Amino acid sequence: MENEKTRPIPLKDDNYTHNINRSNERNLDRRSFMKTMVGAAGLFAASTLPWGALAAKELMSSSSKSYPTQKIANLSDIKPGDAIEFAYPEEHDSALFVYVAEKEYKAYQNACTHLRCPVFWDRDEKELLCPCHHGKFDIATGKPLAGPPRRPLPEIVLQEKDGAVFAVGVKRYEEQL
Amino acid sequence: MKSSYKGVILLALILFASIVCTQYTVNMYFAQRYMEVLLLSGAAVVLFPLAWMVYSKNK
Repeated sequence: MENEKTRPIPLKDDNYTHNINRSNERNLDRRSFMKTMVGAAGLFAASTLPWGALAAKELMSSSSKSYPTQKIANLSDIKPGDAIEFAYPEEHDSALFVYVAEKEYKAYQNACTHLRCPVFWDRDEKELLCPCHHGKFDIATGKPLAGPPRRPLPEIVLQEKDGAVFAVGVKRYEEQL
Repeated sequence: MKSSYKGVILLALILFASIVCTQYTVNMYFAQRYMEVLLLSGAAVVLFPLAWMVYSKNK
């Protein structure tokens, strides 16, 4: 018989775990479970704060957002079916320019809208393909065709001048949807 | 002591709403719908004291 004083739970209270042999089983009671749920809710609440702050920052600065003009390629150097990777508007925002057909070209920021893997141009299928989870995007609109991504790729506004193509801006989602 | 599971169920619902709000906050941020981001993150923040209240009433 165990000593009454050394028992973690007094014998008179130990009336519903007598058939459970695992130690610390009493720690998984209803109250601790509720406490864990409250803690998780707090964690989620705290984790949304940085997103809220970023959104507030964007809301305050979105009206004055301007994009640089960046040369992508000379049209005489590329042929239909080619794709060129570049960075726009910042050096870490990778983008993909696709010369789909004669006089027809498109450019998108090529971070997949699922988990930001780089998206590639599949010349044979005429689709943008994300190799990570086989997400596919329509080259004409940037809309997701297959796989896990749900949002279209952000389209880059292009301008042709003196036989070369320039990136001049990124379309906002409201304009695309 | 007989315990009621009302509090547990209510808390589970609040936690579920909290998870949904968090998920949508991130989704809306990348969809550039910033006003919705603010509303959803506000909702997630409001849900926490609510969960706390439910807990203190039912513990």
